[in-house]
Amino acid sequence: MAPGLGRDLRHHPAQAFLLLLAITAATATLALGLALHGVTSQPYQRTRAATNGPDVVAYLPVLHRPGRVAQPPAQVTTLVHDPGVTGHSGPFPLVGAVVRARGRAAPAEAEGRSQAPAVIDQPKLTAGSWVRPGGVVIERTFAGALGVGVGDRVTLNGRPFTVAGIAVTAANPPYPNLCYTGGGGCWASPIDRGTYPAAAATGLIWVTGPDADRLATSADPLSTYVLNLKLSDPARAQAFANAHGKGNNAGLTSSPGLAAWPGIAAADGLLVQDEQQVLSPGSWLACLLAVASVAVLAGGRMAEHTRRVGLLKAVGGTPGLVALVLLAENLIVALAAAAAGLAIGFLAAPLITSPGAGLVGSPGAPSLTLPTAGLVIAVALAVALAATLAPAVRAARTSTVSALADAARPPRRRARLIALSARLPVPLLLGLRLTARRLRRAVLSAASIAVTVTGIVAVLAFHATARLTRFGGSAGLANPVISRDEQMLTVLTVMLVTLAVLNVIVTAWATALDARHSSALARALGATPQQASAAVSAAQVLPALPGALLGIPLGIGLFALASGSGTVTVPPASWLAATVLGTLVAVAGLTAIPARIAARRPAAAILQSGLG
Amino acid sequence: MNETGAPILGARALRREYGREAGLVRAVDGVDLDVAAGETLAVMGPSGCGKSTLLHLLGGLDRPTSGELVLAGQRIDHLGERALARLRLGTVGFVFQAFHLMDELTAAENVELPALLAGVSPRRARRRATDLLEHVGLADRARFLPSALSGGQRQRVAVARALANEPLIVLADEPTGNLDSEATLDVLRLFDSLHTAGQTLVVVTHDARIAATADRMISMRDGAFVDETRLTGGSTGSLGTLAGLEG
Amino acid sequence: MQQEVVLALLAKEPSHGYQLRARLREALGPVGDAMNAGQIYVTLTRLEKAGLVASEPSAGLADRPDRKVYALTPAGQQRVADWLTEVSWPRPDLAEFHLKLVAAAAAGLADPIAIVDTQRRELLRRLRDAQRAAMAEPDRSAAGLLLEGIVLRLQADLRWLEACERTWTPRRDQS
Repeated sequence: MAPGLGRDLRHHPAQAFLLLLAITAATATLALGLALHGVTSQPYQRTRAATNGPDVVAYLPVLHRPGRVAQPPAQVTTLVHDPGVTGHSGPFPLVGAVVRARGRAAPAEAEGRSQAPAVIDQPKLTAGSWVRPGGVVIERTFAGALGVGVGDRVTLNGRPFTVAGIAVTAANPPYPNLCYTGGGGCWASPIDRGTYPAAAATGLIWVTGPDADRLATSADPLSTYVLNLKLSDPARAQAFANAHGKGNNAGLTSSPGLAAWPGIAAADGLLVQDEQQVLSPGSWLACLLAVASVAVLAGGRMAEHTRRVGLLKAVGGTPGLVALVLLAENLIVALAAAAAGLAIGFLAAPLITSPGAGLVGSPGAPSLTLPTAGLVIAVALAVALAATLAPAVRAARTSTVSALADAARPPRRRARLIALSARLPVPLLLGLRLTARRLRRAVLSAASIAVTVTGIVAVLAFHATARLTRFGGSAGLANPVISRDEQMLTVLTVMLVTLAVLNVIVTAWATALDARHSSALARALGATPQQASAAVSAAQVLPALPGALLGIPLGIGLFALASGSGTVTVPPASWLAATVLGTLVAVAGLTAIPARIAARRPAAAILQSGLG
Repeated sequence: MNETGAPILGARALRREYGREAGLVRAVDGVDLDVAAGETLAVMGPSGCGKSTLLHLLGGLDRPTSGELVLAGQRIDHLGERALARLRLGTVGFVFQAFHLMDELTAAENVELPALLAGVSPRRARRRATDLLEHVGLADRARFLPSALSGGQRQRVAVARALANEPLIVLADEPTGNLDSEATLDVLRLFDSLHTAGQTLVVVTHDARIAATADRMISMRDGAFVDETRLTGGSTGSLGTLAGLEG
Repeated sequence: MQQEVVLALLAKEPSHGYQLRARLREALGPVGDAMNAGQIYVTLTRLEKAGLVASEPSAGLADRPDRKVYALTPAGQQRVADWLTEVSWPRPDLAEFHLKLVAAAAAGLADPIAIVDTQRRELLRRLRDAQRAAMAEPDRSAAGLLLEGIVLRLQADLRWLEACERTWTPRRDQS
């Protein structure tokens, strides 16, 4: 049996390779998703460790008294001396400021710090040095959005400063999620709204204490202090915050707003969650396409296997053994694909997702855990199994005699389609009849096109939405979430399209093989080679059309589901039309090549080789 | 139809070679041939003598390596695949040893296919198919699939299909090769009726019974013609002596 | 052998000579066309001499062989019974042709291939005639069956001649 397996793989290397590609693409996407998933909570922990991040962050509003310099509120003492608190840093003043850099303006919170390092929450520098008089440190994602680096000149509320350094912190969510309520919220956004775009998000800057005082203006005075607390029992951080704080929004009450570290960690993870939202449906789509490709491949190979099944049974193999032999061949390929997919997925993960620049470093290569590897291998095997099961069972069930006698599954007759095709021009006549011969494969083909177009339309819907939500239009700052999502979606689209191309080629190969005899016969009867190859193309374009059309509502629905916003975004009609047309043209083009190659052989040769 | 006297099909120094140098195979090696209108010509020879290749060349299914080929007054040895296809559609009808019917089409749908390919309207094509099936004696099997027909019936359907576009010439490649003797008789009768109706017919066969229905028989060996026999004209013996009756 | 045939035709009932002739004609169809009309009476006379058949003049005219009524004698009936169970088959006569080729080649008198071709042509013509006649017969007629037998044997002979041609070709090169 084993030599038989090897022989078969060697005889059909192209098929085995295509199968490998299909399953690899699916496992790679899956591995990517899993790697990403494993990355979520790690960087926050690392940042927390590196900066000695706080368990609870308290925002303490200060009542403004005109003419008097603000002083830290009395609640500081209450909180600091709470029995659960083991350490604190601050209180640090928070001032709203408008940052101007490189022609862009954005709102920011400026936190006044001492030049000496704080005990708790000392932001970790990724470039440059700590605050000094006239020198500010910008949160890393914010700096990336502004497009500034160490040494650049910025103005805060009109006053000139230099960028002394760039840092990350575990006490606040990174830009643009600074104002996320679960992470603490924004308490000192600048009021002077005319100077920056309305939809802009607020960023975080550290300055020296005296600089912070100077930034406060009479219109926008100092009104909040921030206090970082360390608890004896970090697990009770949320309970502590609930006990001592009431509400989080600045200006509503004079009681402090407290944020516990789990909320901040969650806000940190928002960026990555978004990516996951994109990646999960993407992985499913990729998996579906892979299954479709594999099914067509397996179905095509089954035709040749039926004979071998007959032989196996004739020498005494039980149906179970037979099915096992057939499956074993595909499983070998599946295992190889799983290994390849794991490698690709885990190698690609850090390239695509450094999880929010606002957290410490990139996680490096995410560790390949045993459960992850096991899951990917299981999925690869399941894909191979699912796709080959039906043909294997059918092959095992056919009686030995008929298996030996028949070369392939005989085509079913579809009388109505045949009658309909008589009215069509010659290429469509022959093409529709070819489609009708293998209706199940046509449905599979349409389904895979539908899956691909679904993915593409979802991406288009995303782009249509992204245009609306770009901060302040093109003059505003790029939303790193959106740009990260765009990156992800581009990668996914490329993957989907690659899989779809694979699928089309595989189906084209199977169709051309199946159509060999009837094409040769049609040519012998007088159809031109151009008509015959156009027919093979038409046989695939015909199912692709309903597939592409179906993909449009499915893609819109998928995006609405995945984005969670509930609003249905319909991409512009011109984009949709271009997608459908492009798909059909691509299918026609891809199938034309093998069709033309097949049509160039003289018809006599094919007929003589004893088919039919 | 053709003017009387001018051959429907003419070949001069026809050659078809495969391979190169040491592996060169001359399937057809310098054949000269003329087929007159209304004639039935039989080509006989052992397996591998090149008679099927010759038939494919005559019908435009294959292109000759060298030589001249004239069909219905037009030189076809230099035509491209597309023009050859058009030619086959209107001028040549093919009958194959393996029948080569489409499994998923009924007898009527098989027969009407060449007409549909030629752009005839579906209704006319169907009517023509029904007429042809009646002509070959299978009117009651028009709706049957090939799998439900016997070998002889399938071949008769194939002959009807070959006649769909009123071809100038019908080429048959071992038409009774896959048939038992009773089915052979049916096909023989059919060819005989075609001959009577004036259809030009070239048959390649190694069945002497088919060859005996022809006007002319050519023997072929190693790609070339070696003998020609006119079969019209009486024989020297009476049937009685053939049967064992003395005197 | 033809004697036994005539005997068997009389087995059903005594008949006139012309009745026997008619029955033969019907059974043989076109194959019997060339048969001599008087042949059957010669056979009947021989059979009578051998004591297998007895004749009686029919009422009216006497001494005209075509008006006699013939009947089987007991010896004749026995002969028919024995004949029906015999399994001898017509003797093939391939040896003569085969030796013709050998002799021609050995003595250099003629080209064996040419002899074979000529014979083939003749057999083909005969095949054509027999086949024509066979197709003209209605389905399942007795005569049609006979003609099919002729056709099949000619076909077999032609196959053998093809084999002869194949075999004798290299031999010709050698001699």
